[in-house]
Amino acid sequence: MADFLSAYSIQYWLESCPQGYLEDTEYGHAPGETEPALLLDDPQLRQQSIRTTVQLVVGERCALAASSGLINAAPDEASKRYLATQTLDEARHVEIFTQRLYDLGVKKTELEDVLREHANPNLVKFAEVLLEKVDKKDFVAGVVGQNIVLEGMAFTVFEMLHAGVKGVNPKFAHTLSGTIADERRHVGFGENRIGSLIKEHPEKKPEIERMQRDMSYYMLATFADAFRRAPDAAERKRLAQDLGGRPEASWHGVDLATADPKDMEQALADTVLKEFKTRLGRIGIEYQSPVRP
Amino acid sequence: MNGDADSKLAGAAADGETSKPRQRFVLEETGFDEVPEKYRKYYRKWKGPSDDLGPNEVLCPVCKVVIRSTRELRPGDRVYCMACFTRFTVTRSELGALEATIEY
Amino acid sequence: MAESGSDVHSLSPDRFLEEVHSFEFWFHAVEGYLSATRFGRRPQTQEAPLSESERDRLITVLCHYCVGETAALEASSGLIAIAPNRLAKVFLATQVVDEGRHLEVLLHRLQDLGVTEPEQEIERRATGSLLAFKRRLLELVEGRDWEAAIFAQNVILESLEFTVFQAHAETADPVTRDVLQGIVKDERRHIGFGENELGRRLKVSPHVRARLAAVRHELDPLVLASCDETMAQLGTPPAERPEIGRSYLAAVHRLGFA
Repeated sequence: MADFLSAYSIQYWLESCPQGYLEDTEYGHAPGETEPALLLDDPQLRQQSIRTTVQLVVGERCALAASSGLINAAPDEASKRYLATQTLDEARHVEIFTQRLYDLGVKKTELEDVLREHANPNLVKFAEVLLEKVDKKDFVAGVVGQNIVLEGMAFTVFEMLHAGVKGVNPKFAHTLSGTIADERRHVGFGENRIGSLIKEHPEKKPEIERMQRDMSYYMLATFADAFRRAPDAAERKRLAQDLGGRPEASWHGVDLATADPKDMEQALADTVLKEFKTRLGRIGIEYQSPVRP
Repeated sequence: MNGDADSKLAGAAADGETSKPRQRFVLEETGFDEVPEKYRKYYRKWKGPSDDLGPNEVLCPVCKVVIRSTRELRPGDRVYCMACFTRFTVTRSELGALEATIEY
Repeated sequence: MAESGSDVHSLSPDRFLEEVHSFEFWFHAVEGYLSATRFGRRPQTQEAPLSESERDRLITVLCHYCVGETAALEASSGLIAIAPNRLAKVFLATQVVDEGRHLEVLLHRLQDLGVTEPEQEIERRATGSLLAFKRRLLELVEGRDWEAAIFAQNVILESLEFTVFQAHAETADPVTRDVLQGIVKDERRHIGFGENELGRRLKVSPHVRARLAAVRHELDPLVLASCDETMAQLGTPPAERPEIGRSYLAAVHRLGFA
């Protein structure tokens, strides 16, 4: 365990993040990069970007609360120190996505109101299920919920968003690519550290499986809400062309520019759930299918 | 330069020093490395009680770093210590030296 | 950030707080003094020979420091949940990683000194007063008492660590000195945050002062006793010991409940 965790040391984190892929960035993107003018000028497009970004802030605030809360519950020093780096990663994500809201024209005095107005209630419920475990200082369930379920979802959502915007919004794409790099460490820790703990505490499995099922349900409900509001394929293609980017953006075999929102929702849900199944299987947890909302 | 009107008034009321033009200073980095690069020239390490502070300098009483300004400091001026996140108003002690008084 | 060509002191107070409590600020601040180090040690720094008794005393002192840093790591992470706003949460996240780093570099130093099981060694050498302080600090965090926990951690614990580490660095072997000096640079941010946060709160809620005075009354003896124990291990005669509580006493005086 100690050898494995040495790869998750703060020294390693310092060398790979602040002195690595985040060097010379400003709020996660290259200095001087801005949101595309069309996105800022078109009220509908701007509102849609604000709504998407609000979900990212809500998710990251939950991750910040969870990772910091888990430090006290961690059974060993090395895990505590690793979670310290994850806490700061999550705080950085809160900061850069909050900054994006400001860049999109949200006033600082209105931030909390905007978050309240647009936060998806299902995403809030998703967070509550996880934070309940953290509040009870349940380290094993907390890490599964945070580093496998939440981070696994975020990882896939960020990848999809990245594929969708990289041709049209380099600033946001760069912001996302730094967060994706962080999430890799988080999901890696979740699997590697928890696998051994699950073996030591097999009695915890049913409770963790219930938590995973509940979180998956709220995640799918969040996706359903998000894609119900998404513009249709023709509108997205037109927007991509107006933004001067490539109209096609492929992700997991789906052309994000031309696919129907329902197909995109299906592709995202299937990818995340498949990932959950694989990751949970590796740590000895049986994946529980949620009811489709 | 110090855009705080109240501070300016307080300074003027304190000792009438605002009637003389202020000296200007070109700051250079002195090796203080605890704040982002763009702010480093505004701070230097304190060398202890025998350290002679310039007219554009004042000691941070919280973390003992010398705070520097591009202009001569006067009572009522606002200065910040970025090493410990503190805001101060410059005051003059009974012995006549410039001091930083914390503003919460 | 400062306008090009303008003085940093011309920032508005709100803009200043937004700037210094950000990840961006932390990120560019630590880059200045950590980028050329590994586990807090500069590559050119050479080990100096230590006698067996010097080595043993140093191990004891580093074990004490590890207890303090673990307390700070656990407390600062717990405080994020009860922090009153986003800026305080982001700042505390930077403090969490600072405390985690301190623990890591100290454990690494213990390993350099030949300690193969540092966690067991820490448990063996920890003093009662330090453990009692840690327990009480975590109770304050657990009780969601923001002001008392910030006072105990960022004013009492941090300012005493600041003084002890500075004093120890002056006489330490070169590698330990590197490690301690890097930690002291982080502590400046922590003590500043604590004092300013409490100062702002006491200004609008002076009734909190009485509660904090009680916390101080309870915790002072524990921390001062552990400082004395550490100084004794370092071989500093009582008469030559630095005025341990000086910066701490100055801070409580500024906060108005000395």
